[in-house]
Amino acid sequence: MIVEFWGHEFKVNVVLGCVGGFIIAVLSSMFGFGGGPFMVPLMSVGLGLPMYVVVGSSLLAIAFNSVMGSLRHLQFGNLDWTLFAIMFPAAIMAGFISPQIAKRVSPIVVKRVAVVGLCLLGLKLLGVY
Amino acid sequence: MKRTWVGMLVAFIAMFIMLVQNGASADNPKEDVAAAAAEAEVANPAKPAGKVTVQVDKTSLDNGGTITVTGTAPMGMPVYIEVWAEKQVRVSRFDADVDKETGQRPYRLYMTHEMPAYYKMFVPKEQKDKIDAAKKEDSKWSLSKVLKETGAETVYSAPAKIKIDRYQATLLGSIIGSRGTLLDPMDPKENKKRSMQLVKVRFRDVDKVIGANVQMNPDGAFKAEIPIREGLAPGAYKIVAFVDKDTKSDPVTFENKINFPTIYLSNAGTSLNIFLPFFLTLAVACFGVLMGAGGGFLLNPLLVSIWPLPHTIVAGTVIPTVLFSQGSGIYNYSKIKFINWKLGVTIGLSMLAGAFIGPKLTEMITLAQFKFIFGWILLVLAALMFWQTMPAYLEKNKKEQAILREFQRRAKESAAAKVATAT
Repeated sequence: MIVEFWGHEFKVNVVLGCVGGFIIAVLSSMFGFGGGPFMVPLMSVGLGLPMYVVVGSSLLAIAFNSVMGSLRHLQFGNLDWTLFAIMFPAAIMAGFISPQIAKRVSPIVVKRVAVVGLCLLGLKLLGVY
Repeated sequence: MKRTWVGMLVAFIAMFIMLVQNGASADNPKEDVAAAAAEAEVANPAKPAGKVTVQVDKTSLDNGGTITVTGTAPMGMPVYIEVWAEKQVRVSRFDADVDKETGQRPYRLYMTHEMPAYYKMFVPKEQKDKIDAAKKEDSKWSLSKVLKETGAETVYSAPAKIKIDRYQATLLGSIIGSRGTLLDPMDPKENKKRSMQLVKVRFRDVDKVIGANVQMNPDGAFKAEIPIREGLAPGAYKIVAFVDKDTKSDPVTFENKINFPTIYLSNAGTSLNIFLPFFLTLAVACFGVLMGAGGGFLLNPLLVSIWPLPHTIVAGTVIPTVLFSQGSGIYNYSKIKFINWKLGVTIGLSMLAGAFIGPKLTEMITLAQFKFIFGWILLVLAALMFWQTMPAYLEKNKKEQAILREFQRRAKESAAAKVATAT
């Protein structure tokens, strides 16, 4: 598939993109996390697209996943409205607060802290300690 | 600024809905409780031989506490006390374990909407070692085995009669997201057996389902201090004392009250202080945005670990929280024509298909499997993030970010120019 973006044309491996997107969507909706951190590397490294093409289009693709995942969880009765009403305002507030914090901290430091935190939490879930 | 106001408005509406729901759920009939307590006291002074009587020291608790249950039973017979909440929750279990008789995997989904939000069997103190033995089995403990060993199997009754639907799952059915065909209702014996498995799924630990608290005297009088945890369902709870299947006391009722800011999550069957998940979500979501991975990765494992929330509820409730931020993100990018619709929709459609299947799979796995797979996903994500802090990546990313900003600048200028020519 040829994709045209701001006057540049890119050749995209649709099969890889769709199969990868499908697997990420299954896992993401099954476990309830956003697919962004896996979709962006898939599209930038896997499909070889530059970052300026990836940012907007990956968000659009993930929105399909979120909408369908939400509807299906709702259908299966997995949505607790009270808990949702508690978390939703917090998630929106975070969207306004974190850009303010982002100005003051280095993204590299945040990522390194995140690596340690994710490893600890991951090993905890695997029952290592 | 406009966006801030929209955000605040949505937040207030959400808070309002929450308060209304809480008010509705806290509204419980108190008269029934008092009447039942009075009834039990009236029944007690008679003390007929061969009968079991029971009474409680209080009829109301404030988000947990200890209730002292006293009563009389025929001399020398062990007394079992069953306590359960009238509020009910949904529990499901997917049975894919090899059947010992046929050697095949049944692939059946058992689901009930009538599981008591709280259930616990109290057995005589002498049986404590049997419960301790079950605790040593860790996650492999079996409720039917503990009940059999402590002698409580025949008196296990409150959850035994709940209505359990069972579905025969098929591979194709699961792929298209169907629960499968609904099978005929089970006979009472099978229903009882399956209910025990569902009780385990719901309450997870041996300690939560069975306790050795009943102190018996030789003359047949008994006493039990029954601890009711914090964070349980509000409303009426029933207590029945048994010596065997047919010899039991009349039910005694007490009420568990919860007050704001503690509220009951009716779908999850848990009460919690709303500020805790609120601030947890706020902190995790902030950190998630900073690290560029969204909050779900950290939030879900924390929610299932800190509170006794089912993983299906957690996954199903966290996903829609991102809809708003995604919607506004898409709107902002589309305004400056920064979305390639052909690319986004093509991959989006494959993700649509994936997201159709995923939520079905959530109820087919156990909490332990959920944690196991999630653990590996987090480690993969950690590796991905580590790679993004490597010097080679940073060097490349710097150039990419510069080009990205240049494109965004041009895009904004062209959008602004268009508006200028239009007006």
